[in-house]
Amino acid sequence: MTATILVILLILFAILGAPLFTILLAVAMVGFYSQGIDLSAVAIEIYRIADMPLLLALPFFAFAGYVVGHSRTSERLVRLTQVFLGWMPGGLAIVSLVACALFTAFTGASGVTIVALGALLYPALMQDGYRERFSLGLVTSSGSLGLLFPPSVPLIIYGVVAQQMGVGRVFTIEDLFWAGLLPGLLMLVLLSGWSLWTNRRMARTRKPFSIRDALAAVRAAIWEIPLPIFLIVGIYSGYLAISEAAVITAAYVVVVEVFVYREISFHQLPAIMRESMVMVGGILLILGVSLAFTNYLIDAEVPMRLFTLIQRLVSDKIIFLVLLNLLLLMLGAILDIFSALVIMVPLILPVAVSYGVDPVHLGIIFLANMQIGYFTPPVGMNLFIASFRFEKPVAELYRATIPFMVVLLVAVLVITYWPRLSLFFL
Amino acid sequence: MTEPTASSRLMWMLQITHRVEDMIIAVLLTATMGLALYQIVLRNVMGTGIVWGDILIRLMVLWLGMAGAMAATRQKKHISVDLVTRFLSPGWRLVSEGLTTFFAGSVCFTAFYFCLQFVKSEYEAGGLAFGQVPYWVCASILPLAFLIIALRYVIQFALILARRLKATP
Repeated sequence: MTATILVILLILFAILGAPLFTILLAVAMVGFYSQGIDLSAVAIEIYRIADMPLLLALPFFAFAGYVVGHSRTSERLVRLTQVFLGWMPGGLAIVSLVACALFTAFTGASGVTIVALGALLYPALMQDGYRERFSLGLVTSSGSLGLLFPPSVPLIIYGVVAQQMGVGRVFTIEDLFWAGLLPGLLMLVLLSGWSLWTNRRMARTRKPFSIRDALAAVRAAIWEIPLPIFLIVGIYSGYLAISEAAVITAAYVVVVEVFVYREISFHQLPAIMRESMVMVGGILLILGVSLAFTNYLIDAEVPMRLFTLIQRLVSDKIIFLVLLNLLLLMLGAILDIFSALVIMVPLILPVAVSYGVDPVHLGIIFLANMQIGYFTPPVGMNLFIASFRFEKPVAELYRATIPFMVVLLVAVLVITYWPRLSLFFL
Repeated sequence: MTEPTASSRLMWMLQITHRVEDMIIAVLLTATMGLALYQIVLRNVMGTGIVWGDILIRLMVLWLGMAGAMAATRQKKHISVDLVTRFLSPGWRLVSEGLTTFFAGSVCFTAFYFCLQFVKSEYEAGGLAFGQVPYWVCASILPLAFLIIALRYVIQFALILARRLKATP
């Protein structure tokens, strides 16, 4: 009885907007207390953050992403993709998708893609003759495209959370990045295909490919072009550990944007550092307290009970996956991606593994669903960012993003029911 | 010249602590980056490395994270669900903000107390984290961070109360 009241109270606090880490902390402390465990166990659990070498990647990728977000990299990226892809029919739509995917992978789906790239692409799309609703939907839904490509921070966090569970087979973060490659490309291809089809009657203003423009665009971005190549080669070849790649990336980006392009002054750096560490602090704190929370859940055998309960209702792997997709889509609309990862992965992973789902595949399913959650009504974060940025009512964005959501749902179904796509390289 | 009021003096002091915090974050991040780069160079070029380097770097990430969490509290940028507040009237929003801030502050004070117990017991046990650095020093960021976060929630709660009192004379 008391437990039920407590749970209801905590849920109430959560939906009223109490910081999520305080909710998780309260659950963990009450749980430890009820089991007669000394509450300083909470401190021990949070301290475990320092035992996770992988987390080193987090502050550096975050910082690098913020530096890139503050410089004019977005302009150079659009220019570059435009000269190389703009000559194709429907080129600009594809340009937008590719540029957003690259930028989001690098900066994290923190909404900066919509603010920095969307602001360039939206007027350009309209000028090119694309319908307003299509253009809005495209830039809004592309704000979370690219979550499956390296060096996506949510994918790293999934790996960290899943690994400390010790359930299912052991895998590396590199495995996750390999697994995300084809599903991420599938999303890009499907969205591009749909963009071409829906605009097939549009009068085309194709720009012919010009070698001079191409060279100029390459020259403008010459210092930034090596970065994705270095990251992709370094990570996929296994030559660099993720954390090493992160450190080098951060240092390189600072040198290039501050000293070569001079778009960020030296005095701006502390503020950018603070901004990025605020994000990192939010994630790390939630991760830390979730370690305590997870520990309590495992002690109380919650995943085990959950599994027996679900197995009584669902015996089939396919039906389990259908339900999983529905659950994740719903969660994605309510929770932000990091909270969803640290709360739901410890509950879902053991259950999913018992149904024979590969943990790497589960990670891809998880993120693919969450990606749609970013622009699912009523509270998908990117809807509000886009509404603010483009000065459009949120309801208009709900309508604009629907077709993109349908296309991505098709992608999610393919990703979920065709594990080979994710596990092809493993 | 007017005498500075108590509240303006308090604000000034808060701003100083914010500056100090920002500087600590910048210095820590730069130092972590420098040390990590140095380790990479040592490992790949010389084939050696500082033995305790990796442990120290991981600890610095913990410290950075906690410092970032303190700053996040002051900027109200902690991750939250927040499903209903945007549909509430301003008056009710203030009530809900007050409730959640009070709740958050209490939880953080409790966490501070037990983290302090943890550090105390580590101090008595006297274990070393690396080199000559005792374990309790490394862990001391936890009670410190929770104390500052809790105090910030107290300040935010007081400000909400003040606004509420002003709204209903």
